[in-house]
Amino acid sequence: MNAAVRDWLAGLREAGRPDELEVKALLSVWGVAVPHARRLGAGEALGEPPPGGPLAVKVCAADLLHKTEAGAVLLDVARDELTEAVSDLRARFPGRDLLIEEHVAFEPPELIAGALRDRDFGPAVMIGCGGVWAELYRDVAFRLAPCPTNEALHMLGELRVAPVFDGARGARLDGAALAAQISRIADLAVCLGDRLGQLDVNPIVYADRGWVALDAAIQLA
Amino acid sequence: MVGASATPGRVGRIILELLLGGRRPVYPVHPTEREILGKPVYSRIDDLPGDVDLAVIAMGAERATAAAEQCCARGIPFVIPVAGGFGEIGERGRALEARLVAAASRSGSRILGPNTLGILAPHLELDTLFVDHPRDLLAPGGGVAFITQSGSVGTEALAVAAAIGFGLRAFVGLGNACDLDAIDMVTHFAEDGGASCVALYSETFTDGRAFVEACRKASQRKPVVALKTGRTAAGARAASSHTGRLAGSDALVTGAFRQHGIQRALDEEHLFDAARTLAFAPEPAGPRVAVVTPGGGYGVLAADLIEATDGWPALEMTELSRNTEKRLRDALPAFASAKNPVDITASATDDMFVAALEAVLDDPAVDMVLCIALFAPPGITDALVERIAALERQRDKPLLLVAQRGSQTNEVLRRFFASGAIGFPSTHRGVRAARALWERALLRRRLGGEA
Repeated sequence: MNAAVRDWLAGLREAGRPDELEVKALLSVWGVAVPHARRLGAGEALGEPPPGGPLAVKVCAADLLHKTEAGAVLLDVARDELTEAVSDLRARFPGRDLLIEEHVAFEPPELIAGALRDRDFGPAVMIGCGGVWAELYRDVAFRLAPCPTNEALHMLGELRVAPVFDGARGARLDGAALAAQISRIADLAVCLGDRLGQLDVNPIVYADRGWVALDAAIQLA
Repeated sequence: MVGASATPGRVGRIILELLLGGRRPVYPVHPTEREILGKPVYSRIDDLPGDVDLAVIAMGAERATAAAEQCCARGIPFVIPVAGGFGEIGERGRALEARLVAAASRSGSRILGPNTLGILAPHLELDTLFVDHPRDLLAPGGGVAFITQSGSVGTEALAVAAAIGFGLRAFVGLGNACDLDAIDMVTHFAEDGGASCVALYSETFTDGRAFVEACRKASQRKPVVALKTGRTAAGARAASSHTGRLAGSDALVTGAFRQHGIQRALDEEHLFDAARTLAFAPEPAGPRVAVVTPGGGYGVLAADLIEATDGWPALEMTELSRNTEKRLRDALPAFASAKNPVDITASATDDMFVAALEAVLDDPAVDMVLCIALFAPPGITDALVERIAALERQRDKPLLLVAQRGSQTNEVLRRFFASGAIGFPSTHRGVRAARALWERALLRRRLGGEA
């Protein structure tokens, strides 16, 4: 197993159950961009809000797979609304850590990237049309990992949503940059070895500074 | 032939008859019979001459295992135990199968099966398929190497495919694949100069990664098309992540196949249509299709299917060049359509048909031609079959036929095939074959393989 993965596994707050911030930290080691964020412990004082624009406030927990449905995500929170947002989440999710991160403005559509260890084929990587309706769209392409960038570009070409990478309706989504991210996620899938169960990066979106993983979860095997 | 039987209808008798139909000496083995079908019978495996290349064993699992052990110990290089009753039935069968594997690894012999129909290789005059199968309908010198995990899907679907013309290099039933497996066969037929396409039917993988890697190497040499079944939704239901649930939708197999140059077929008809086409037709330079037909309705139907967006890769209805349109106007009746789809109309004659096909085949804006040959127009004669086939033989562009002639449809398609032209009984299947050809061209380019 890869040394970076071994260290990451050893450093998890709860063994075998990484939370969102920990998964994002791992992704960023593999070159997948994530929003600037900080953890706010259950009893920790909020202090001064970070400088900059609006924020996202989320419950940070390994066992909460569908945070949006559970009402555990507050988006586009202005700095002067932060105290209220934190109190709201703490009231509804007592004892949980919170995640305060920059709210990333992005160009739609939301995409989903993922990886898993398949019983027959071993590590595989996925890209598709994402967001909460990903399973309804079923607009996804898979490859086995590792998956070089040119192969990842073929995956994008197989999606129904592919025209957004060619400027459809004025879209400016950078397909080549996304293909590079897919290839890195595939590398991560390989490095996780037999600890890889399933990885969701949903959504991954195109922002001013390129592709950013807004949410991510790993189920370790 | 171990377990040769004197009783007509027994498996050991049917296979013996099949083997005697080939050009090799055959030695029946049976403990008490003295002579079967005029051949002297050997009572023991140990009495056999020393030059045996292949032992086919038609006995129940227990006795077949003991016989296979003797064959291996004697150094017979290939052994095919046809009977079931091994790993597929549970613990006792698995123990017998383990003995087969051990015997093979001790001696270096290779075992095909057990629980298999064995092999049909027309060019070797070797046939062990003891169920009814289409020997007469298969075109000689054919190029499809068909490797199947299921005997029934193999022979039944092959019979249907052969009815419209199918060129078989070899049929290999893997059965339980205790020793020789799909990877061995793909690797072999990748090297076999007589095989121009490898087709597979597979339910389970012992090592999916090694399988697709072997296919990738083969695909650099020749088309590989596979029907993979048995991806149940159970795994998907158990998954809690989006990725896990979406993988269960089968998209993972499609992606893994494409990445390794494997064309995926979704049912048995698709598999055989793709294989017979890929083994036969030249590679198209692009996705642009021209349609020629005496039936305007069929032209529109074909155009819709060609431009349908749910298939991969996309095909295009081409725009014919002005020179081609002029040639068509000169050759066809005034009320014919000289645009794609080209409608020769019901006043079509054989000459018009051939002139129209020549014009579109010459057009640089045309990568493939779909010719919908209908025989109802009074000006069309039976000679059209041979004239279209002659065009196809001369050109390096794919010319795919769709032909319908009521109950004689299969016969017409078989005549086309015998003359060197590939045809299908429906527009949908003709268009799907065109898509398979373009898919092959794309995958080969991606892999950097040989043309």
